[in-house]
Amino acid sequence: MAKKLKVRYYRPKADVALDINDIQNFVYDMSRCIKCKGCMWVDHTYMPGATTGFLTKCPSATMYEYDAYNGAGKMRIAHAMAEGVLGWNEKALEVVYACTLCGACDTGCKRNLDIEVELTLEAMRVKAVKDGVGPMPAHKKVVENILKKNNCFGAPHKSRNEWLPKGVTPAKKADVVYYVGCNASYVNKEIAQSTVKIFKAAGTEFMLLPDEKCCGNIVFSVGMIDEATAIAKRNVAEMRKTGAKTLITACAEGYRMWKVDYPKLLNISTEELGFKVLHITEYADGMIKSGKLKMKKDFDSRVVYHDACSLSRQSEPWTPWKGKRGWMGCVEPRLKRRRGTNGVYAQPRDILKAIPGVNLIELPRTRENAFCCGAGRGAREAFPEFAEFSANHRLKEIKSVGAETLVTACPMCKSNFSKAVKENGDDVQVMDITEIICASIKG
Amino acid sequence: MAISKDILNVLESIVGPKYISADPVICESYRSGPGGYENGTGYERVMTTIPGCVIMPRTTEDVQKIVKVCYRNSVPYVPYATGFYGPRSHPHVEDALLIDMKRMQDFSIDDKHFFIDVQAGVIYSPIQQECLEHGAYVVIGGGGAQASAIANLLGDGWSPLSHRIGMPHRRILGCEVVLPDGELLKTGSLATGDDPFWGECPGPDLRGILRGYTGVRGCLGIVTRMAIKTLPFQPEPLVPKGITPNTALALPEKRVKWINFVVPNKEAQEKAMFEIARAEVGGAVTKVPLFWRAIAKAEDKEHFWEMWNKENEQTVHNFFIVRVLLIGFTSEEQMEYDERVLMDIMTALGGEARATKPSDESWIKNADSAGMWVMCGDYMSVDYVSESLSQAVKHGSTYAQLKKKYTPPLMPDYGDPGWFQSFECGHQGYSEFLVYWDHDDDTDKVDQFYLDSSKMNIEHGYYTALIGPHQPMYLTGPKYGPNYHIYMLKIKDEFDPKWMSHPPVPLAHDVFVERAPWMHNMKDWESPDDLPK
Repeated sequence: MAKKLKVRYYRPKADVALDINDIQNFVYDMSRCIKCKGCMWVDHTYMPGATTGFLTKCPSATMYEYDAYNGAGKMRIAHAMAEGVLGWNEKALEVVYACTLCGACDTGCKRNLDIEVELTLEAMRVKAVKDGVGPMPAHKKVVENILKKNNCFGAPHKSRNEWLPKGVTPAKKADVVYYVGCNASYVNKEIAQSTVKIFKAAGTEFMLLPDEKCCGNIVFSVGMIDEATAIAKRNVAEMRKTGAKTLITACAEGYRMWKVDYPKLLNISTEELGFKVLHITEYADGMIKSGKLKMKKDFDSRVVYHDACSLSRQSEPWTPWKGKRGWMGCVEPRLKRRRGTNGVYAQPRDILKAIPGVNLIELPRTRENAFCCGAGRGAREAFPEFAEFSANHRLKEIKSVGAETLVTACPMCKSNFSKAVKENGDDVQVMDITEIICASIKG
Repeated sequence: MAISKDILNVLESIVGPKYISADPVICESYRSGPGGYENGTGYERVMTTIPGCVIMPRTTEDVQKIVKVCYRNSVPYVPYATGFYGPRSHPHVEDALLIDMKRMQDFSIDDKHFFIDVQAGVIYSPIQQECLEHGAYVVIGGGGAQASAIANLLGDGWSPLSHRIGMPHRRILGCEVVLPDGELLKTGSLATGDDPFWGECPGPDLRGILRGYTGVRGCLGIVTRMAIKTLPFQPEPLVPKGITPNTALALPEKRVKWINFVVPNKEAQEKAMFEIARAEVGGAVTKVPLFWRAIAKAEDKEHFWEMWNKENEQTVHNFFIVRVLLIGFTSEEQMEYDERVLMDIMTALGGEARATKPSDESWIKNADSAGMWVMCGDYMSVDYVSESLSQAVKHGSTYAQLKKKYTPPLMPDYGDPGWFQSFECGHQGYSEFLVYWDHDDDTDKVDQFYLDSSKMNIEHGYYTALIGPHQPMYLTGPKYGPNYHIYMLKIKDEFDPKWMSHPPVPLAHDVFVERAPWMHNMKDWESPDDLPK
């Protein structure tokens, strides 16, 4: 353009990188938020009616209501902090941490704009830690558990594999590593047990990591980036040592860590990990479609599928990027933005459709517009009332479509929903997708 | 002066502790800029402040009580629906109370009498969904699907779909308005009871005072409730499809269809709009800015500039498009008839129908104003004009000429005359001129262009929307009135003698010119020395 016009549009190009270590990388994004609140509302094309009460997709904004808790407000707060005109206080920490980093704001914003909201929020947490005010006290306890005992719960490390059902012995060496994760190892063991049954039914030999440790989701999520990087290095090295080609997990948060956040922390692309990262839904869907896994037994139920954030809108692969930003905010080299378009949305639905008897109903807020359960990324640990609110809000929606069974693909979602269902006495059955697959295989 | 603890306690007793906060972090989140509509301009930097406190009422009664406390204690306040409308909907004075209306979500629909009744926090897209499910539709204004229906209808509220039904304020059937002293004013048929159907009331109707051409930005009180007329729509469902960012409504093609036509010249473009309107067919007839076509196709801002940089004065000058929405309101047969009429008109004018997707990306449910920022980061509509169709078309060309003087920093659009269309089946024409610029450029010229556009309107006799609180009233008032600024200020003084409701609106732009040194050499009009400081 400069050559064609008499007046030259020109500004020196500024260095920028998708690096959450330095919040200054995202000042451009913060300063270009337009307050359309696409971060908060359901995509207007999919927006349900005004009387439904399911118009927002941001749990934080829905519970706390002030603009400070939606993406637009957070971008303004982050901007003021990055510019040094606003300091930390108790409210700022609540704004930053009473949030599941579920990515609804990021995909909503990027429907129209090229703004990095999720990375800004992650960078804010890193800044909080660097500034000495983060993470929250409840997070510190979990992080301590992880760093000392290699799991979130402070349980003995030696009992990590006690979930293994009798008669199932993982291979010493295999092409597939099953990464179990803390939750399925210690709390929701039925998920791990169902997962290995699926492997067996499909004839897939699998191994475990020789000394599996926590993926570090909470450590990373609360902004402790140095500690998280160390965990990423260790886990990726251990995985590479196995020589396996594929890592499969049934934990959505773990899946995101391995596929997206480890590469982000290690400044490599997902491809450069050297192995494939699959969620059990991707694997099982492939097996069902290739005929290796057969869904035989009826599961007669009106079923809804809840998209776990880390498996859906947040699961697109990572590619490191640094470059220059110039006139009109254009960057070079070309940046392919992660907009949540290519998340794992279809596979779990295809699995459920393949199960005889399942009557799959879509929720008003579905796929990239799904309303997070409220448990992830350190939110439940520090703000349990927020996690409870989010689960109940989503359950209201689930009940509004007359669902009998709620299926999700994340142990944290299952825990949070199960707790809420139990406390409310709701007549909704909560299942992990591995369990419903197993229920159909058994026949 | 900061709002005192005593006053905060009284306000807290109205809404409860959860819904009031003077925390600096909460208040910061209500900053107008730096991004968004009209933000990044000098006006935003000079005129806006963060609030001193934020409060979230639930009912009209809450708002009345809050306003009474403010009025009694001389606390300036600003009503805030969604905050999308840039600096002019944000506090302009220090330590103002921002009244965030988002908890006011009451909604009801009367599908027998075709109206809805909403509170100020209700936005358009869920309204439209409810309407569609009840055989009706509303027009979602250019402000976007995320705009509060009340705020948008008080401000502008028009869209390409106004071709069918014209000026938006004519669909306001009644309002509840909390006046600056806390008194409740009911307008339209709400003044005589709780049935808004008629839209009229005995005695003088105050709708004009409330709204005027583009409203008064909350400076005469707060509209908490509005009854809005809806219109009958065709019965087939419009089905959402796709995944972000490419989502759209799949259209039932025998009942709803967009068709894009390319016509040979500007005369044919204008004539096509006129003839389509005269034949009373179509749900929308419009010509949008050409760069919007590039936005619609672009994967990201870099892609946009790749495409747009291939254009030049010649290509833009020689490309004439007319976009038509057909709706079979009553039957497939009606739709077929409309389409035949449309094709006859376009054939006679040398128009050629282009392949058009059988879906609606924007206007029916998702008026996609947010996407207009993708390529720049800064944007505003400098003006909107309802004129005769022939005059509306001229208006854009005049703007394009003036814009050259300010390009850069304004984005190059190669002389595109902006957006124009038919309203009310051609009884009115509409023109809107939008400008874009880079946030980090020197924006003094953007402010100057904005003001210069007002002088241009005066010179050419265009009666435009932004002559009220959006421009210096002491510039536009004597030229358009000759005394409209005087009566506007008298009304303000009568309704709000203490000027507590969103000060210094309606004189905010006058004040801005005084405060901004880069505007001083443009001031060639008289204004009093006692403008609010």
